[in-house]
Amino acid sequence: MRSTTRHMPLPAGSITKSLVSRDLAFVAAGFVALAIVMKMHWAIDFMIFCIFVLSYDLLYGYMGHLSFGHMLYFGAGAYGSAIWLAHVNANPFLAIMAGLFAGALLSSFLGLIALQTHGASFALINMAFNEIGFFLIHSALSDYTYGEDGLSCTAGKLFGFINFYNERHSFIFVLVLLLLVFWLLRTLTVSPFGVLVRSIKEDENRVKFLGYNTMTYKWITFVSASILAALAGGMFTMIQGFVSPITISPFGNVDVIFAVLIGGAGNLYGALIGGVAFMLIKNFLPVLIPELEKLVPFQVPQWEMWLGIVLLVTVFALRKGLVGFVRQKWQHRRQVGVVS
Amino acid sequence: MLEVKGIDVSYGHARVVHDLNLRLDRGEMVFIVGRNGAGKTTLLKTVAGLLRPVKGTITFQDKEIHGLPAEKLARRGFRFVAQEKKVFSSLTVRSNIELAAHGAGEDLDTALKKATSIYPDLSRFMDKKAGGLSGGQREILLIGRALIGEPKILLIDEPTEGLAVIVIEDIFRILREMKEKVSAVIVEQNLSVVSRLADRIYIMKEGKIIKEFANKAEIADITELERYL
Repeated sequence: MRSTTRHMPLPAGSITKSLVSRDLAFVAAGFVALAIVMKMHWAIDFMIFCIFVLSYDLLYGYMGHLSFGHMLYFGAGAYGSAIWLAHVNANPFLAIMAGLFAGALLSSFLGLIALQTHGASFALINMAFNEIGFFLIHSALSDYTYGEDGLSCTAGKLFGFINFYNERHSFIFVLVLLLLVFWLLRTLTVSPFGVLVRSIKEDENRVKFLGYNTMTYKWITFVSASILAALAGGMFTMIQGFVSPITISPFGNVDVIFAVLIGGAGNLYGALIGGVAFMLIKNFLPVLIPELEKLVPFQVPQWEMWLGIVLLVTVFALRKGLVGFVRQKWQHRRQVGVVS
Repeated sequence: MLEVKGIDVSYGHARVVHDLNLRLDRGEMVFIVGRNGAGKTTLLKTVAGLLRPVKGTITFQDKEIHGLPAEKLARRGFRFVAQEKKVFSSLTVRSNIELAAHGAGEDLDTALKKATSIYPDLSRFMDKKAGGLSGGQREILLIGRALIGEPKILLIDEPTEGLAVIVIEDIFRILREMKEKVSAVIVEQNLSVVSRLADRIYIMKEGKIIKEFANKAEIADITELERYL
């Protein structure tokens, strides 16, 4: 941005420290409750997926750029960390950093190309990059990644005391990371930078007419979202101790898009609720359906069918996702209350 | 000040503007009039940097500017108010103004004064979401926002389209007060507004300028203008 424009801050949304603290406490309480109700390792998987969904929400929900290739950066983080652990050393901090570096490096370069396009072209060019990444991991770099067989790796203790193979340690660490990501995005999206990014979503040309080089803002957002996706990928490696090409498969993009749509794009709570809802459907329905089939005399449709139905309902009845729907009802109630 | 010389503009293979010439002098208010599909908006978008001419030149203060991106033209003082009356609807009126002020490198107080100077009532809506404004209020906000910084050329596309008569009078008053303070190229269909404000009128048809009116008496004669539409 031009130096002459620096003397005045951009408009920022209203957010107070107490509001952020309240949000963080609310999110933490939600995931602790989830860990109590479900198995703890499921809650950890849910939180890692939610970090990934939050990263996608920044790109799609806030900046309005639908991508079919965000898994590339999740995979870059996962494989970056795994390759470091398997081929360099077992230091988990350096491994996570390696994953973040991989995501940052890839997105910095590919973002410059992808962001030259818009709409469907942007979505598809990212998918093409994702396909190339998948091929490299699956075949071309199989000497390092062990291709289809996947790569096993073991991380040492982080800072000498966080053991990723202890569920409680992992839960607390991933929860802290999730809260950090949530806080970061909460602050970013209402900051002057966030206001500009949201304005780009509304109408990029009009932002240009105001004298802004929108490419810079879009690139920073793209790289930030990719680094957060790589963080989720890196944590996946730390917790699982194993990565396979499925962690970079373009098919995984469908999961994150569904999650954002179900919860409500452009809303951090929506991303979390969508992430949890999607994981519940994906993880529990395959278990519940066979049990249900024992009780009824007909075949119950598989979980993918139910996911499709949820998406149809979301698209036709809940255009702004679950959170948008609840918010709309709440505002309507308040307005009715004011009138009466 | 602004000179468009022999430009052709295409959408793919479809040529929308043919060999078009136009001139805008400092302090002038030039109107472009023509039927739908005549290429008026395409011309304005080309001057604003959204489209690139396939032939011809556009010069501003004797420097070629065709092909420069919109943001660079904005920094040189071009302000484009598009036809759709689109504001940043999720932001408040104040934030819309702040965004423009920051882009133009102007302090907020001055920007707010400029934006509200054309329509003091705008200050009543400062904390309202811009998406909740009426069509007329949006247009006024957009014109007010365009005055922030040091605008040298305003490009305004159909400012009175779809507005109630009473609001059109407000827009007319605002444009009249702006006259001679800024230079403007305005696409407009309302001949009553055009004939009262124009220093020069270009009639466009099928992508070409078919007639230019620079004579005061001719400009004031609406019946004569209508003959070309």
